[in-house]
Amino acid sequence: MTTAILEARDLTKSYGDRVVVDHLDLSCRRGTVLGLLGPNGAGKTTTLRMLYGFVPPDEGTICYDGRRFSENRAEAKRMIGVSTQDDSLDYDFTVAQNLLIYASYFRPRVEDLGGRVAELLERFELAPYADASPHVLSGGYVRRLLIARSIVHQPTVLFLDEPTTGLDPSARLDVWELIDGMRADGLAIVLTTHYMDEAERLSDELLVIHEGRNVVHGEPHRVIDSVLGDHVIIVPRAEPAREAIAAWLRDRGAEQVATVLGELRVPVSKEDLAALTARFGEATWQVRPPNLDDLFIALARRNGRSA
Amino acid sequence: MSALGNLTAVTNWRSWAVFRRNALVFLRNWRTAVIPPAMEPVIFFVAFGIGFGGFIEDLNYGGTMINYATYVAPGLIAYTGFGTPYYEALYSAYVRMFYQKTWDGILATQVELPSVVWGEILWGAVRGMVNISIVSLVIAAFDLLGVVDVKVGFLVFLPLLGFIAGCAFASFALIFTAIVPAIDHMNYPVFLIGWPLSLVSNTFFPIEPQSQALWALMQVNPVYQLAECARGLLVLGNPGSHLLGLLGSTALLLVPCTLLSVRLTRRRVLGD
Repeated sequence: MTTAILEARDLTKSYGDRVVVDHLDLSCRRGTVLGLLGPNGAGKTTTLRMLYGFVPPDEGTICYDGRRFSENRAEAKRMIGVSTQDDSLDYDFTVAQNLLIYASYFRPRVEDLGGRVAELLERFELAPYADASPHVLSGGYVRRLLIARSIVHQPTVLFLDEPTTGLDPSARLDVWELIDGMRADGLAIVLTTHYMDEAERLSDELLVIHEGRNVVHGEPHRVIDSVLGDHVIIVPRAEPAREAIAAWLRDRGAEQVATVLGELRVPVSKEDLAALTARFGEATWQVRPPNLDDLFIALARRNGRSA
Repeated sequence: MSALGNLTAVTNWRSWAVFRRNALVFLRNWRTAVIPPAMEPVIFFVAFGIGFGGFIEDLNYGGTMINYATYVAPGLIAYTGFGTPYYEALYSAYVRMFYQKTWDGILATQVELPSVVWGEILWGAVRGMVNISIVSLVIAAFDLLGVVDVKVGFLVFLPLLGFIAGCAFASFALIFTAIVPAIDHMNYPVFLIGWPLSLVSNTFFPIEPQSQALWALMQVNPVYQLAECARGLLVLGNPGSHLLGLLGSTALLLVPCTLLSVRLTRRRVLGD
């Protein structure tokens, strides 16, 4: 396993009396995607802002390529690319000029900048719009340009803050392909998203935070298994035995009995599933593997939030 | 970053990269960016200097009798040198910061916040230089026509003086840019500070301070110093003590305003 290019330890940040990030550790290796997940207000944005260098942590250290960010700020910022959640394109310039002007904010300068811009325009399918204003771009292409801009200076760590929010399914898939390609190029990518399928498919590792703390961390399937178990059963609203099944599962120690639009959703072990089948053989339910949506709901409920 | 670091960021390539960005946008739209704003002082000059001036007797300035149009011409230089960077750093910077999120994009690079502030200050001051140059050309034309009687050769120094003072005016404006909740609130710094300051600084009429406090206040007002410096040069060929006054009052305004702008902008943009 390669060493982490980004490593943060004990990150802590408070605003007034409120601890927003609480002794958080995270790391990301080259050629991998770290999915940073958490409900609204969990501390993701503050964590990212500390990692970008927007705000200093109250405690803890951030290292890029083994060197402390606070002591090698300029070098570290040359290594990172940031695609912000908000559209921060420069609408006073054309698509190609956005890449050129952004590159001017870095030293050492990008070698063969013209070639680099042409390469990115081709790769991100922006070449037909090179001389157009970003105003003419659709939401998906705006996002392409934001991502292309964030790597124009050839960083080694890339932060993607909700890169597919507001995109249609087709545009989302296109962005996924681009992210996968950048991972294959060896970039270390930190991804935040509210789309659990996106996090599950793209992330090599997941870090779920809540109230600024690390709730669970690891490879996606291990994270899901460790919290949820083997299966999720879904009992439809119309099933007469629904309440009885819920009560029976609670009696057997099931903590994560969730109701979604009247359906009962419960993560269960193999043993519980076998026992449930024996006890409620007449009832109707579905069984499927657990996914990140289940995990997210379970964690939210565990931490006292409504799913 | 330390206070000294925030001040010396002006020499950093990052500040000039932000300046360059604004300059490139200006060059793309230079006709609309130059002609309408530059017409304002010209209209003022025609209305006050020539129109209104016809009803006013000649004035004694440093022992030289001058007509009112000649008195107002350097005042318009100061008015332009103050207004251009002040409004640029109020409105244009606010649009870049709040609506366009240009600063957010820039701050995600190697450019740090003090450099964004300095880039805006430098750009505002250069915009002042550009508009002062245009007003200077107009004054030179009126001198040829015999409407005013100024030492035309000294007009070439005025853009540079305007740049120096313009840095202070832009840094002052950025304080308001950082704190106004919405662009409508810009009316406060415009009408309660900008207008009074640009009118009562020996720009359009001479002020005889009746108290020591008012006199001291005028000495630390760079608009007054710029007006008197320009007037000294254009009428007498010598700025006198107002050149030092301009440099001193500029430094007195620029240093604290820049530090405060960085602090307030950090809170607003970075939430820190």
